[in-house]
Amino acid sequence: MAELVTLTIDGAQVQAEKGALLIDVCKARGIEIPAFCYYEGLALQAACRMCLVEVEKMPKLQPGCTLPVAEGMVVKTDTPVIHEARKSMLEFLLANHPLDCPVCDKGGECELQDMTFRYGLGESRFLENKHHVDEQQWSPVVFFDRPRCILCYRCVRICDEGVGVDALGVVQRGVVSAIAPSHGDHLECDECGMCIDICPVGALTSGMYRYKTRPWEMNHVGTICTHCSNGCKTTLGVRGGQVIRANNRDHSGINGEFLCVKGRFGWDFVNSTERAQSPMLRTNGRLEPVSWSRALMTVARKLNEVKQRGGRVGFIASNHTSNEENYYLQKLARQGLRSNNIDHHRTGDVVTLIDALAGRTDALATVADLYAAKASLVIASDLAQQQPLLHFQLRANWRHHRSRTYVVTPGPVRERKFAVKSLHAEPGRELDAVESLRDDLSKEPELVILFGDAIQGDAVRRLVAFGDSLGIPVKYVCLLDYSNSRGAIDMGLAPGLLPGYRPVAEAGLEPGMTIAEMLADASLDVLWVVGANPLRNARLAAENAFVVVNEMFLAETAQRADVIFPAASAYEKEGTVTNVCGEVQSLKKALKVMGAKTDLEIFGLVAAEMGIDLGPFQPGAVFEEIRREVRGYNVSLPVIATGGAAQSVPLNGRVPALTRAELIQSARDTLFTSGTLGRYSKNLTSVLEHPGKLYASGIETP
Amino acid sequence: MPKINEIIGSAAAIAKGMSVTFREMLNPSITDLYPDAPPLFEERYRGVHVLQRDENGMEKCVACFLCSAACPSECIYIEAAENTDPKRISGGERYASVYNIDYNRCIFCGYCVEACPTDAITHGHGFEIASYNTATLIYRKEQLLAPLPPGAQVPLVVNEEPVGAGH
Repeated sequence: MAELVTLTIDGAQVQAEKGALLIDVCKARGIEIPAFCYYEGLALQAACRMCLVEVEKMPKLQPGCTLPVAEGMVVKTDTPVIHEARKSMLEFLLANHPLDCPVCDKGGECELQDMTFRYGLGESRFLENKHHVDEQQWSPVVFFDRPRCILCYRCVRICDEGVGVDALGVVQRGVVSAIAPSHGDHLECDECGMCIDICPVGALTSGMYRYKTRPWEMNHVGTICTHCSNGCKTTLGVRGGQVIRANNRDHSGINGEFLCVKGRFGWDFVNSTERAQSPMLRTNGRLEPVSWSRALMTVARKLNEVKQRGGRVGFIASNHTSNEENYYLQKLARQGLRSNNIDHHRTGDVVTLIDALAGRTDALATVADLYAAKASLVIASDLAQQQPLLHFQLRANWRHHRSRTYVVTPGPVRERKFAVKSLHAEPGRELDAVESLRDDLSKEPELVILFGDAIQGDAVRRLVAFGDSLGIPVKYVCLLDYSNSRGAIDMGLAPGLLPGYRPVAEAGLEPGMTIAEMLADASLDVLWVVGANPLRNARLAAENAFVVVNEMFLAETAQRADVIFPAASAYEKEGTVTNVCGEVQSLKKALKVMGAKTDLEIFGLVAAEMGIDLGPFQPGAVFEEIRREVRGYNVSLPVIATGGAAQSVPLNGRVPALTRAELIQSARDTLFTSGTLGRYSKNLTSVLEHPGKLYASGIETP
Repeated sequence: MPKINEIIGSAAAIAKGMSVTFREMLNPSITDLYPDAPPLFEERYRGVHVLQRDENGMEKCVACFLCSAACPSECIYIEAAENTDPKRISGGERYASVYNIDYNRCIFCGYCVEACPTDAITHGHGFEIASYNTATLIYRKEQLLAPLPPGAQVPLVVNEEPVGAGH
């Protein structure tokens, strides 16, 4: 317990931790001290002078945001002098700030607007013309309107400290000082848009949201981002059946306010004109739009026919579909068709990790752990490229708590900037490098180990054995690629595993075929591909196989299909997804795209058409079944229902060794790509096409 | 006697009554001859809205959505778009690419006019909007816009140096 001091704020005796900032102490007491530049989690600036307070025995007003509380301090926050000071400050801020609120994108959610209403004078004594500078475009997503800027430095600090990109700075001084991108007239950065979000005025605006609508005109739907596996909460602004923007200003979810370029701008595939909006059936060699009933009937008849004659049916499932859909799909395959040929593109060896950690309940780290842990070890992964939130958390942990990070990677990565030790390790030699860190690691009080797909199979067991031998509490994160990669394996979308990592032998089944085996099996009768694109880099050996595809876009696999069901994206459905750390969070339906159905509904309708009873296909009901049936998924409903994340704990008993090492491979998506989804997001591709203006390699010399 | 008094009384009453009649006959008529003649409006009559233009013929509306926010019957629908240098529709950075008022719902309260920061939306004197088909009561921007001033050309095509988005 830290030392407490007693001070007087507005006549009331207050106890607070010594050294705490006055602005925080007041906030905790429910006393508002207005401020622009002060931002929780960022370095102190004292640039805006809005937070001035009166302190006894100090001759002038003091900024509350940089003033540590001290014993016997007498503070007044509500006096005529302070009111006058605030009015003057706002008058000065507005001296050059254009009063173009009606056309400003920030209008309605602008801090300067709010402050002026609450504390401002209401009129200005400045009669001179306002200084005007033309608006600048710094990148496809960032626009800068200099006269609106109040120089609070929030964008500079979030970019430098928070994201670690350091793409913004301040040039000139005095009245002509201005925010500027580090490359003269444009940005070379992550294009994460954090600066746009954090701007208290409309100086930095988003190229995607620009002049589209106003904040109060949208429905705001908090759901989970459908790109990488970190499971960030993103609040979609939806108007008239169109997603218009995404941010997370309410700081809810595991990511707080953080979003990367994909979460913030990569939503436009939803309203892409290339979306499949009608079922299609191959007639006379060409895909023709047909009715839902015709498509469902065709698939159901084919499956029933193949089932009766004992043919071979394979399922390739998705990394993006919800837990409910995954569970229902494996039920359809295993109970409905007695087939274990079900697999998905596996991007990390969770299975072996779960097995190696059998019997322990606290050995899997959460996203919050990465911010709290005293030390962490990153093995064979470029977190900044592939796991932006985890990188942000590690970085914030280092900034706020001086946590110690160790890095073992084949190439330079951004964590090296703050790592205490970073080692180069040739692919396949990572564990040797880790071993050489033994002395350092065993001195740490605790450790979180994050490892990529280079560590798989036996290497995972050796890594866990290494962790055990350190004699300190160790938690693990097995890094995965996509939004529900973890949920896919949890729900048993693997040829040898039932939901909850139970061996298929428990259900009296033989392990089925993997993706590679299905594609190579010339005698396959039906292949059902759900939200995946396996034929992009591979050929289907079975020339005559009947291919069913649930897809949003007519990508390579869909071109080969005999029946295409237009599927809804994650932003168009209810359900739950599980992130890389095993945290279960709920999706909220933000909009409906005409013609598409959710995968769950498609599976349910096909099963009904086939005459199989698999139970209700409604997300809530299926999730109840998952909570009952799947080990580790008996998570707290109130937590999930209120938008929280509950970690599933699938650590019971041994998992049969079944994985062949070559089946697990990360897609190596970068910060700006997201598999097939990314190809259909114009926002993301526009950032990629922006010539020479990218942080492309992720490489910084340490 | 009573008879005579009655006659005189009646004649006086008739004379009094007719005096009003004759007096009013000489005064100008206040009855509107609508629909044979256009009706008379007070200056501040709140009729069908007019979207005003500035002296160059540019639309005054900058699609700030404040009218739609102020509207108690939620009858105003707007879609905004950005002005570009070659094609300018309004004086500000953006303009209303769609501006619909649903006269099925409008109660002519005038809040939209009060809310407008650019004096773009005003009440005109139009009132003949009754219809057998409610679909025709959704007025689009083209129906609401004031006529172009003589000589104006919109969208304005700028051939000189590009003009920055001004304030």
